[in-house]
Amino acid sequence: MIKRIFDWLIQPLGLIAVGIGFLAVFSLAAYGINSTQLAPTQPIEFPHDKHVNASIQCLYCHPGAAKGPAAGIPAQSKCWGCHQQMEITETSELLAPLKEAVESNTPIKWVPVVMVPDFVQFNHRAHVAGGQNCENCHGDMTKVTVAENPQVFNMGFCLNCHIKSAGDDHEKLVKLTDCGTCHY
Amino acid sequence: MKTDLNMMGAKGAIVEEAEGKWGMVIDQDICTGCQACVAACAMENNISFVGEEDAGYGRTQHWIRIERFWEGEYPEVKMTPNQPMLCQQCGQAPCEPVCPVFATPHSNAEQLNLQVYNRCVGTRYCANNCPYQVRSFNWRDYHIDRFHANKVDGKSVYSFHNQFNPDVTVRRRGVMEKCTFCIQRIHKAQDTAKSEGREVVDGEFTTACAQACPANAITFGRVDDHESLVSQLSHQKGGVKHLEELNTLPRVTYLKGG
Amino acid sequence: MSDKFSRRDFLKLAGVGTVTTVLTGCIAQKEVKREPYMQMPEYNYNGQSTYYATTCRECAAGCGLVVRTMQGRAIKTEGNVNNPLNLGKTCARGQATLHGLYNPDRVRGPIKHARGESLYETPVDPDADDFKNADSNMSWEDALQVVADALKNNKPEEIAFLMGTASDHLFDLVTDLANATGINAPVRFSALNMFESRATLSQAAENLLGEAGLPFFDVGGAQVVFSFGANFLETWLSPVSYTRGFAGLRESKTKLRGTFVQFESRMSSTAGKADEWIPLRPGTEAMVALAIGRLVSELRGNPLPRAFSDIEPLDVAAKSGIKLETLEHLAEMFASSTGALAIPGGAALGQSNGLAVAEAVLALNAVSDNFGKPGGVFLSPIAPNQTEYQRPASAKEMQEFTQQMADGKFKVLFVHGVNPIFELPASLNFKDALKNVEQVISFATFPDEMAVEADYVFPDRHGLESWGYQRVATGAAQPVLSGLQPVVSGVYKPDSTELLYDARATADVLIAAAQLADGKFADALPFQDEVEFLHSKVSSLMTEADGFFSAADADTFIAYFQQNGGWWKLSDARGAPNVADVLNRNISGAESEFAGEGEFFFIPFVSPTLAEAGANKPWLQELPDPTTTVMWNTWAEINPETAHELGIENDDVVKITSEAGELEVPVYLYPAIRPDTIAIPFGQGHTAYGRYAQNRGVNPASLIGQRLNEAGDLAFAGMKVKIEKTERKQFLSRLESRIGVYNEGMEEH
Repeated sequence: MIKRIFDWLIQPLGLIAVGIGFLAVFSLAAYGINSTQLAPTQPIEFPHDKHVNASIQCLYCHPGAAKGPAAGIPAQSKCWGCHQQMEITETSELLAPLKEAVESNTPIKWVPVVMVPDFVQFNHRAHVAGGQNCENCHGDMTKVTVAENPQVFNMGFCLNCHIKSAGDDHEKLVKLTDCGTCHY
Repeated sequence: MKTDLNMMGAKGAIVEEAEGKWGMVIDQDICTGCQACVAACAMENNISFVGEEDAGYGRTQHWIRIERFWEGEYPEVKMTPNQPMLCQQCGQAPCEPVCPVFATPHSNAEQLNLQVYNRCVGTRYCANNCPYQVRSFNWRDYHIDRFHANKVDGKSVYSFHNQFNPDVTVRRRGVMEKCTFCIQRIHKAQDTAKSEGREVVDGEFTTACAQACPANAITFGRVDDHESLVSQLSHQKGGVKHLEELNTLPRVTYLKGG
Repeated sequence: MSDKFSRRDFLKLAGVGTVTTVLTGCIAQKEVKREPYMQMPEYNYNGQSTYYATTCRECAAGCGLVVRTMQGRAIKTEGNVNNPLNLGKTCARGQATLHGLYNPDRVRGPIKHARGESLYETPVDPDADDFKNADSNMSWEDALQVVADALKNNKPEEIAFLMGTASDHLFDLVTDLANATGINAPVRFSALNMFESRATLSQAAENLLGEAGLPFFDVGGAQVVFSFGANFLETWLSPVSYTRGFAGLRESKTKLRGTFVQFESRMSSTAGKADEWIPLRPGTEAMVALAIGRLVSELRGNPLPRAFSDIEPLDVAAKSGIKLETLEHLAEMFASSTGALAIPGGAALGQSNGLAVAEAVLALNAVSDNFGKPGGVFLSPIAPNQTEYQRPASAKEMQEFTQQMADGKFKVLFVHGVNPIFELPASLNFKDALKNVEQVISFATFPDEMAVEADYVFPDRHGLESWGYQRVATGAAQPVLSGLQPVVSGVYKPDSTELLYDARATADVLIAAAQLADGKFADALPFQDEVEFLHSKVSSLMTEADGFFSAADADTFIAYFQQNGGWWKLSDARGAPNVADVLNRNISGAESEFAGEGEFFFIPFVSPTLAEAGANKPWLQELPDPTTTVMWNTWAEINPETAHELGIENDDVVKITSEAGELEVPVYLYPAIRPDTIAIPFGQGHTAYGRYAQNRGVNPASLIGQRLNEAGDLAFAGMKVKIEKTERKQFLSRLESRIGVYNEGMEEH
């Protein structure tokens, strides 16, 4: 039985079949990995670039980043603070979901773009206080509409930066490369 | 670089390094064995309960347990002072070198024994090599066992998950775990202190077990700070470190009192 | 690789596996949604915890809690550092209260059902597609109408309330309702209080100290403590506060390490901490206390007071099984100390001569002359907004209540905060008496035995979701009123604003129903809701002096009350008892009488970790018992010598028979119990109460008869039982088998 399958596989047609099969598996895998890096569909196509170009600081909407572990998503009362005074809020189709959410008093269900696994304990505050700018990890938001991942957030990415920023400071290096700093 | 203390031999030579950073003092004379620390630890650290059958097979996940032994026979029988046993955060931990995947490294920053869940492959070598028997293994995915499910509109919902502490990883099957000296609280205190531009003050925070203990039998803090309460208590007469003769450099001091 | 499965097949499968893993991985990730606050609370950021002060409702002690919450979920309970009762500490039950809040078996909303019908199914088959939860089958509007009709359509004397000991604000509300409308005054009961024999203690205090109430024993300030059965490090009166006292006894900067002696026939975990454990024969506590009193008086060279004049130490030694030398040595210890304290409690009072025991032991304190002095006996301060100690019902009063039910005096019975079918001895026949009550309405949060036997279940909110206050009956030096506030608004369905457990505060239900019933009911409770009622009660404290805080206006006062988790006075308000002639009275030193035929004394004791209502919290089940390390079950403690004679080994199931009933339970060979005594913990043996409690262990209350002591408390420890070996074995899960080498103690498995 096995012998017969093997004989069939080494003839030209069989080899082509194997090739196609391999390609299919490979491209599916590639698609799968790629899809983790795609920006998710958001309930509102939020244009980060317009907001940043209007000189709104990141920390105005995401103040948690300077205060604690999570940057946070602004409450819609914060969006409304500006938008209720703007004409475009009434006319723009893109802003219709915001208007509806505020009027019906229901929360907008955003989709997180960057997520670290449960076994990673990430704290925004320490990074911001350590002099890291938001764009170092999240990319240049002046050029981005719907937020997307500029890089793969894996341990190599974190550790490279940790080692680099420690420089010659041995004590800092010990702290920044300690497993217990992020995993507990 | 870290010195290999085994090579140095004599205990006197290692006193400095033997001290460690974080330490605990447990006063056995006032510990009443009430289990408040055990419950507090479970609630703080997302520890799974395992049910009667697995508990019978010794698979309970208590990170801290209270040991009691009997001495003598009736009527001269005595219960020895309750002995809360938890990871001693050894300076020279027997669990560390046996891990084939380096999932139990020593934290040089905090002087603790770590357990890195995402690296652990579940060989259980560490637990077998731990002289204190304080490591526990996740034999099953206890927290998503469907026995605990609540049916909501036809779907299984685990209402206990609402209570999970977001600062602590929820462990899956096949992973070893143990007491961390509430490292999440250490980090939080350090983070708060740093954001306010100061050092962590002694007594500013403590571990979940020490915070709950109604008798105040557990004290936690910096043993390398000689002004701290834990350091002063640990140098009291009657202080004992368990299995010190194995040169494990345990960080928990037991006061026998009485 | 076998012939049938080639390496290539394996690789192919592995490839497909990788792809599916990757794909499912990202699909799972995309299901995550984040909902921002609609209106971000000021000074709050995402990922930061909010802390709320409230009060623990696991028992009636009233310990203050500070609960860590995050995004509307309660994460961890800690003690409230400011509350003078517990000073930031909690017991195991307080820690596990979250397992009540998020318990999968909570009642999900108002239910109408046939009595005796199970409210839920235990998920025996974990793969079953659906199993029955305690689902709601009626609306709250209908529920309110049911309550209103029950109030309106019955004569006032046909309406009865049976309540637990927490929380006090609801009791006050029902009391106000009863006073205004003529319905029966609410009756309160708790098995914890039954096993504490509170009525006996209170009666003894009235007889000897001149005032009914719970005496305050200053363990922390004492030098020598003699405890006669009081398990004050477990569940007795206020365990967190007494544990702090014990720590003070042992460790103090101002005095030497204090000595602690416990007199009881079974070594409880309290006795395990004692320097000396005196395993006296049950029933001889009174005479032992009197004999020690006499010996102390003689040692001191005082004239022999009347209380001790009839007692003969040599005779006592023979009867109690304590050597005369031991008695003399104890007397010397007591006499030579400057701060000796004697505490009566627990099983010692739950005997036919319980009142005499309490009086004899309290009298010992007169010898030590410690009344109203540091390290001595005080009167507990009366809680704010109270004028005298309110005692929960004794067994005698519960007997009368049950009799009234059986006689058909009550047409409607409201039950809140107590599970009498489980907590009362089965011999009281509460369940049968229930049949003569036309309508039973339970306000149970969990589907307990009482809820199963009710016509309607209108679930109250969990303690962490509730408003209220709890008076601290004893344990603090100051008068304390601990306050409750909701730390979470409820438990929600996933991705929904709908409540998973649609419970409603019973106070709110009663207020709304009273408005519906109109007339005198509406006049009795003229409030919009529970909170308004609460404010009306709490704001009266505003004018009181010496408060932990004060405020100029009611709103500010209430805000502080919530923020601090209650209100208490700053100065010590413990009373010094008026003790002119404590020793100048006759106290009987007679042995107690035991009911039943058997040859073993029977000691039921409250499980230190589970207590009366902890069995449905899985982490409490998994806490090892402090003395036996048994988890998740009930055991009978038997002395190894006795067991050997009877041919009984560990884990053998024995049948225990008393005059009131029988049960089968596995044996734990307990080295620290008298050879003529058997002990069983109370806390398990539920026939309902959720998947973690149901059909687990046995309830020793089914062995307890109806005999009472002079104060009307149950003589639960005044029984003799027979034991008989069965052929069965049931292996108990113990923690101790894990210690040492793997598999040690597990050979039989």
